[in-house]
Amino acid sequence: MIDIQNLTKQFGKYTVLDGISVKINKGDRIALIGQNGAGKTTLIRIILGQYLSEGSLTVFGKNPRHHRVEVLDRIGFVPQLPPPIQMSVGELVNFSASISQKSSLDGIYAKASDLGLDIEHHVKKPFQKLSGGMKQKLLIALALARQPDILIMDEPAANLDPSGRQAFFLQLIRSMEDTTMLLSSHRVDEVINLINRIIEIDYGKITQDELIDQAELADKVLACQITFTAPNDAATRMLKDWNFTAVNGDLEYQGNFIGAERLRFLTTISHFANHIQKLSIN
Amino acid sequence: MKTLYHVTVSDFRESVRAKWFLIYSLVFGGAIVLLFVLGITESKVMGFTGLTRLLITYIQLCVAILPILVLISTVRSVVGDREANILEYFLSMPVSLGAYFWGKIISRFLLVFIPIVVALLGAVLWGLVKGLTIPWHAAGYYAILLGTLSWCFLGLGMFISTMVKKQEWGLGLSVLIWLVLLLFIDVILIGLMLQHKIIESVIVAIAMFNPIMVFRTAAVLLFDPELTAIGPASYVILDNMGYAGFLSFSIFYPLVLGWVFSLLGFFRFRSGDLL
Repeated sequence: MIDIQNLTKQFGKYTVLDGISVKINKGDRIALIGQNGAGKTTLIRIILGQYLSEGSLTVFGKNPRHHRVEVLDRIGFVPQLPPPIQMSVGELVNFSASISQKSSLDGIYAKASDLGLDIEHHVKKPFQKLSGGMKQKLLIALALARQPDILIMDEPAANLDPSGRQAFFLQLIRSMEDTTMLLSSHRVDEVINLINRIIEIDYGKITQDELIDQAELADKVLACQITFTAPNDAATRMLKDWNFTAVNGDLEYQGNFIGAERLRFLTTISHFANHIQKLSIN
Repeated sequence: MKTLYHVTVSDFRESVRAKWFLIYSLVFGGAIVLLFVLGITESKVMGFTGLTRLLITYIQLCVAILPILVLISTVRSVVGDREANILEYFLSMPVSLGAYFWGKIISRFLLVFIPIVVALLGAVLWGLVKGLTIPWHAAGYYAILLGTLSWCFLGLGMFISTMVKKQEWGLGLSVLIWLVLLLFIDVILIGLMLQHKIIESVIVAIAMFNPIMVFRTAAVLLFDPELTAIGPASYVILDNMGYAGFLSFSIFYPLVLGWVFSLLGFFRFRSGDLL
């Protein structure tokens, strides 16, 4: 669906993307990870035809800059921060429905409802006056209502509180079964259950591109034991959330989780990597 | 065309809520009200009185403030959307670059033109109510002149907006251009004329490249067909172009200039990084 060959993007003398090559196939659900300034947003903007670049990039076999309307009508995009649009919710919804071939008012209302947002209730309210979470839900509903073949989200949950994030990701899984997804995120643990591939960008190069096969161990119960070098309150709280119990004081813990959760567990526990003496999963 | 219509309507609705539009409308609407309240129709200057006197004052006001208000409101459109990440979002939708750019221009033209024409219309209606003689020909011509002047600076504003990376630069550049057009060319050219170093016709020709000067001269010409108010330059203008010729020039020149800047802005916009 997206074919990138030797893609380079420079801003002045600064090279943001340095000859990257990658293919994104139908059904891929990718976490695009990397530090700030690694080039994630730049890559997304090139895919959306907003930046020019050297090398080759095609989306559905077409150049997104030269075939903007055709390509973008099949892509849904959710930005990191909701833009300060002055329009009312109703006007924004009407605008989005009117410019897309596949979108409709009913479709947008239904998707928003799935995400827990009642558009009817806010239709006359300026988009700006919605809460951060509601704005994000509306933008996601607008993107999903276009029935996109590719859904691109740049830190979509950055504006949501923890419970909102959880609900959002659950709704997202239900909403996008057949959609290829490119998800830019700092926190892999949040999206780990959504994705089947991780691409990491660092200093403009792809440093990791791995498929995540969670099927083999998905329903198996795994036993885990962790030993810390010193007591750590934050780690203890995290492990209690995972229903782990302390063994031999407050340095050693054990617990279980299912295989489908192992990557989420590992990315969560990785925040305390400096304090881990021993970790085993069986 | 459908997308162009939707972009135009949505940008119009969006901008109508902006504070600059409120201030802009109040300036032009308020100016007319103020001129009536101050009894300008009762005064007489160079033989002009009644609604004609009011229109002359209104046009003088427009010469001074319309270009800068149009520039300030327009110059922020593309670069402002870019800075606020609105452009990133809207250009991720299936909207062609042409529909986005020209939709924005059409919407902005309506936004800047409607308040000044409504103010002009209000003056005419008020004149009718007061039983004043209505200079229909002049009022109609003024409306067209205001439209072409707006279009000219709208095109320039959009061009600047696509060129600069930050709103502050755009605003600074706009003020500089406005000052150059409004003051310096006038002052410099008068200085050159007084020094007799360059022949008059060349100086007048340079002045006529300035759309504000063209507008100002055309506005005077309408009530003063001999252009006695502008002195010896009138001979050069009227001898070379004639009355009808200059009136036509004053409509088409700013119009062409507006189109040139708009097209340059569009080509600049679509040729590089959009964000």
